[in-house]
Amino acid sequence: MKNESGEIQPGGWICANCGVPLELLPADAIYMGSSFQVDLPRCPACGVTFIPQELAEGKMLEVEKLLEDK
Amino acid sequence: MHVDGRDFARLMRESRLDEARAVLERSMPLAGLCAFLCQGECMPYCRRAEVDAGVNLPMLERACALHSRPGKVMPLPASGKSALLAGSGLSSLCLAFELGKKGYKVKIVHTGEAGLALAAGALDLLPQGALAEALERLMALRVSFERVDDFSPGLCAALRRENKAIYLGLDDPALNLSAFGVENPGDTLTLETDIPGLFVGGAGLSFIRAAAAGKRAAGSITRFMQGVSPSSARAGEDVYPTKLFTDLSKVLPVPPVEAADPKAPALVEAAAEAVRCIQCSCLACVEKCAWMAHYGAYPKRYAREIYNTLAMKIGHRRANAQINSCTLCGLCAAVCPNGADMGRFCAEARKEMVSSRHMPASAHEFALEDMEYSNSPEVAFYRPQPGHERCRAAFFPGCRLPASLPEQTAKLYAFLCRNLEGGVGFFFRCCSMPARWSGRPLLTASSAAGVREAWEEAGRPELILACPACSLFFSAELAEIPIKSLWETLAALPLPDTARALDRVLALHDPCTARDRPALAEAARSLALRLRQNTEELPLSRGFTRCCGYGGLSILAGPQVGAEIARSRLGDTDKDLLCWCVMCRESLRSAGMRALHFLDLLFPGEEDAAARPAPGISARQDGALAFRRAMLQNFWNEEDEAADMEPIVFHMDGEVAEKLEARRILRSDVEKVLLHARGKGAQFRDPQSGRVLSCLRPKQVTFWVEYSENADGSFTIHNAYCHRMRVPGTPGEGLPTAVILEGFDPQGGRV
Repeated sequence: MKNESGEIQPGGWICANCGVPLELLPADAIYMGSSFQVDLPRCPACGVTFIPQELAEGKMLEVEKLLEDK
Repeated sequence: MHVDGRDFARLMRESRLDEARAVLERSMPLAGLCAFLCQGECMPYCRRAEVDAGVNLPMLERACALHSRPGKVMPLPASGKSALLAGSGLSSLCLAFELGKKGYKVKIVHTGEAGLALAAGALDLLPQGALAEALERLMALRVSFERVDDFSPGLCAALRRENKAIYLGLDDPALNLSAFGVENPGDTLTLETDIPGLFVGGAGLSFIRAAAAGKRAAGSITRFMQGVSPSSARAGEDVYPTKLFTDLSKVLPVPPVEAADPKAPALVEAAAEAVRCIQCSCLACVEKCAWMAHYGAYPKRYAREIYNTLAMKIGHRRANAQINSCTLCGLCAAVCPNGADMGRFCAEARKEMVSSRHMPASAHEFALEDMEYSNSPEVAFYRPQPGHERCRAAFFPGCRLPASLPEQTAKLYAFLCRNLEGGVGFFFRCCSMPARWSGRPLLTASSAAGVREAWEEAGRPELILACPACSLFFSAELAEIPIKSLWETLAALPLPDTARALDRVLALHDPCTARDRPALAEAARSLALRLRQNTEELPLSRGFTRCCGYGGLSILAGPQVGAEIARSRLGDTDKDLLCWCVMCRESLRSAGMRALHFLDLLFPGEEDAAARPAPGISARQDGALAFRRAMLQNFWNEEDEAADMEPIVFHMDGEVAEKLEARRILRSDVEKVLLHARGKGAQFRDPQSGRVLSCLRPKQVTFWVEYSENADGSFTIHNAYCHRMRVPGTPGEGLPTAVILEGFDPQGGRV
């Protein structure tokens, strides 16, 4: 679910409420008192954010573990 | 002298001469000199002496000194401090070397040729040039020598006036104490005298002990000049017996090697002698515990690493996972000749991590939520035996047995009701052991208080405990509640009519939680005997049993290490295991062993019970709920109100279910996401496949479920995953509950 430049792509998912395709927009990720800004697929109308499995079980998990042992 | 003889011999054996010399020089001042003066006082204490003869370290030292290069000495910059040393015996030379390295300006006042105070037999032992080389090394450290005719009272008085720190090396026969006005010999530990700043040593000692006195004087003078207590924390400098236990039973005698020329042993001779070193070590615990083996070292190093992690203010807390994957089972203490208990150490470390808010949120959250579930009003209950208002006793099966063996547990309860006087109530909840294992004293106390309250409401019956972990917990945290083990209770009752033995030998596996209560292991054996069940003892059993991997929540906090611990039982037997703790049965079965519980023999159910898979986490929780419903219905004729709720029906194939199990996503988590989506609508859809994706964060974890809705209103689950990180903007972020929050704020961050 990444394109060639490594950006996270929404696949075929669209916002169920607004019916529009998701776009890469900045979002906050917060854990253990640390927060980062990342570009994630979001609905441009209502802002709902999508976390793909690849991200949840890859980079996100890695960062969670790092922060837990900090 | 505290030379690491073991490491030195190891390096000599491998002919790594410069490294071996570095080991010598680390503890031995002027090693090029001392190596030849050493008379092997250690040899009678060498453990090999109990087999044949101690390793001849002096021979190795001499070979090393002759065939290696001295290490570079890097003195500290001049400190502006100075010391005067009277006499040029070995103690003074070694002291000069030690102080010179510390940047002291050292002057040695002596009679005769410098260093020749060694003469009493020493010069014969030294190879040519060794003394000159030692003196050169001292001069390179800015040590100066001043020759005097004798130590007259006038000279001594002048030296005392002019110098703040003075050492009298009495191994130089030219010196005497009275000339310096000293009446008593120095303190043997610090070498201090009645006169501040005046230290005395070296009288009547062997060469090596004189050298050690010089080393010790260096410590005292440094402390004196810094104004630090001369005696605190110095016990380790003295001679003391080792605490290291070494098993000599497999050490074979090997005759000592004689050097052709004892003053100049050949390298081959030294290497051959070094091979005789048995490299003393005690791996009693490392050989028996998979956790010890997993981290590749031994307890002393682990203790240091754990201590370092706890002391860390900022940075990567390397030992976290190690601390949390110990089973706290106590096997290491049971096999350790010194009783060292890493489990207690790790248990304390967990408490420290919790109180300093460094316990990783993910480590025990799942187990604690599971505990909360078991103690929730939807699951936990107490009922007196039908027909009794108050009961003398109550059966407390623990949280795991009913979910794993529901029918047998019900039959056992009926059996106890029939056979015990005074009524037997039924008490279903978790004892709270997970809280204790997780290092949370506050949660442990509050959860234990919940158990106490329920017990008081039940009329304070004596509790009959099926689970040895519960027994351990009640003894430690709820000592006022009278308890009796199920296994001891059964010992006094007839066997159930249904009981039958299997016509093969089973290996008895004891739980680690009963390690210190031999009566329980005896009760299990007597039960097996009465059943006429043939059993064999495992190589590690009773007080020395192995943990199944569930103890200390090991397998939950560190699944990989926990599974290794569970698998270590595999090598112990090829028989089916017979367990009397259901957690053992489940963990060992999950690790690939065939295993039965005693209830499988007392109330037989399926044909091949040893092959019955351990229930997964979802099945266990659902099982607990189903058990409650069945019990309330069958024994008390009550309908469970929870059954009336409109259920959400969903299906998933086996592969998806396995994935969810591995990710510790419960069916109830999926249900919550679906319920939420039914109320608020799904969040994402894929127009091509028609599938929808919804997420919810009920507590500390956000769950994502991909599914499609079927025509009959049920759902098919295609995938689910989760993460702990919060992303505001993801929908369905609910409020967390208070359960696992000791040490954490509700958002999962540090308070």
